[in-house]
Amino acid sequence: MDFYLTVALAIAVNTIAVLGTFILTGMNGMFSLGQGAFMGLGAYISAICVVNYHLPFALAILISIVISAGLAVLVGSATLRIRQDFFALATFGFGQAVIGLLTETVNVTGGAMGFSNIPHLTTPALAFISLAVAIALIWGFRRSHFRRDSLAIRSNELAAKVAGINVFKHKMTVYIISAAFAAYAGALMAFHTRYVEPAMYGWMTSVTWIIIVFFGGRDSLTGTVLGSFILLALPEILRFTSAWRILLYCIVILLIINLRPRGLFGNWELSLKSIFKFPKREKSVEAK
Amino acid sequence: MDFTVFLQQLINGLSLGAIYALIAVGYAMIYNILKFSNFSHGGVLGISAYAGYIAATKFNLSLIPVILVGMLTGAIVAVLVEIIAFRWIRIKHRQMVYYFVTSVTMLMLLEQILIILFGSSFVSYPYTLVKVRIIHLGSVTISVTYMLALVAAIIAFGALIYVLKKTKIGIAIRAASDDFIATSLMGINVNSVVVAAFIVSGLLGGLSGVLYGISASLSPQIGQVVVKGFIASVLGGLGNLTGVAISAVVLGVIEVFLISSIGSGLSPVVIFLLMVFFLLIRPQGFSGLNAEDKA
Repeated sequence: MDFYLTVALAIAVNTIAVLGTFILTGMNGMFSLGQGAFMGLGAYISAICVVNYHLPFALAILISIVISAGLAVLVGSATLRIRQDFFALATFGFGQAVIGLLTETVNVTGGAMGFSNIPHLTTPALAFISLAVAIALIWGFRRSHFRRDSLAIRSNELAAKVAGINVFKHKMTVYIISAAFAAYAGALMAFHTRYVEPAMYGWMTSVTWIIIVFFGGRDSLTGTVLGSFILLALPEILRFTSAWRILLYCIVILLIINLRPRGLFGNWELSLKSIFKFPKREKSVEAK
Repeated sequence: MDFTVFLQQLINGLSLGAIYALIAVGYAMIYNILKFSNFSHGGVLGISAYAGYIAATKFNLSLIPVILVGMLTGAIVAVLVEIIAFRWIRIKHRQMVYYFVTSVTMLMLLEQILIILFGSSFVSYPYTLVKVRIIHLGSVTISVTYMLALVAAIIAFGALIYVLKKTKIGIAIRAASDDFIATSLMGINVNSVVVAAFIVSGLLGGLSGVLYGISASLSPQIGQVVVKGFIASVLGGLGNLTGVAISAVVLGVIEVFLISSIGSGLSPVVIFLLMVFFLLIRPQGFSGLNAEDKA
């Protein structure tokens, strides 16, 4: 396959996972350090279903998403009622636990050596259509009261509760959706790279997605998608400076967060109306 | 498990816990004042561990100077991190969440600097740094490198308690932890308080980096051990340094016993389950004193 197409496909698939983090961290202000683990679960479960049990590709993906969402319900029901720091800690522990399990169950997953011989089933069309559907889904969420509920919870949870929002139910929905997005992206990625190993899904993966969301702008869907394209493509563009590329990448992020803290795109959204009045941007106060 | 083995593992666990406690307290100092998870503390720890390594291999310094070099580097790097990553956000009164993003970016950046300078392979401190490696105490064999961590942690915490309780800057740090804005209204220069907190946290980070480097080995990813500090300080009830230190020691002991009984692969699973169980029965953390979420 053409190099550029391969890179574009990987970026598109990862952007789906970033969108999961966008809905969780960007819209709702919940910091999860275990999103990478959901991606790993999606990748491993779907790959094992297809390779070992010869299930059809679509069914395998569905199974992996359902299991990941089920685990999200378990983790969420234990931790979503308590403080934000604890949610971050519990999701972190969950991620480490999943990686521990994947590494330890050697006869099923291959352990630290990784799981290979996965057929190449992710076509570029599938990846790009999936990304488009994911964006459309979130765009739809943001047009409904879901967005206002999220903003209320992010700004002040107690006030949101007083205003009659079922905070626990909302957070649970958000967490399940983000887990499903990550698992789906993981499954697509596994059938693209044809090889998975536990180390690919550590907490730093989750952190990278959070960084991408803040880089593009956590109030802007357009910003997140474009920011994700930019930041995921940047290491490929900087490939000529192999050792320095992550350093440059970090410097770019630090500059953006320091100089444009609301992200590259602020709360600007791509639409016909906004293109025409782009030069005179309204000044709006950022919700917490 | 017979008693000698148990005792031996307990000592190992306490020493590992002592290093975790040093990491966790350095991490919690910044959390108390600026209220964010300072993952860049791991980067500080990594850089100072390597600085100690250079001091020991290139300049053939002995143990105490190596530790001092590490601590000094830690303090300098921590202040640099504050200037680069956090000062601008703080002065512009931006929201807390941005601190988190810049701090994890700083962790990645410092890690990358280590990879560029030293390559991504493992290195270890020279064996001659600690001359006597083991002491026999009856039938119990004690590793000197582990004991070193325990002793250093006790000295460091003694000094820390003195600074925080008796000196002017320590009292200012505690005041700022309690209420940052009120402290600035009382005419205390909060900028210098924040810098002082970063210096103290950097000293602790440097010490824990060198100790962790001596008892384990060095790789550029060494900074990721900061997550142990993260676990310990959240479980300890953020806001209370004693609770944080105690829960770090408990974490170290549990980890050593788990690794010796079920192996290092499955122990994160058990630790996760214990953690969730603990958070369910005691959501206010180990110490019970918590920075309250204000309505």
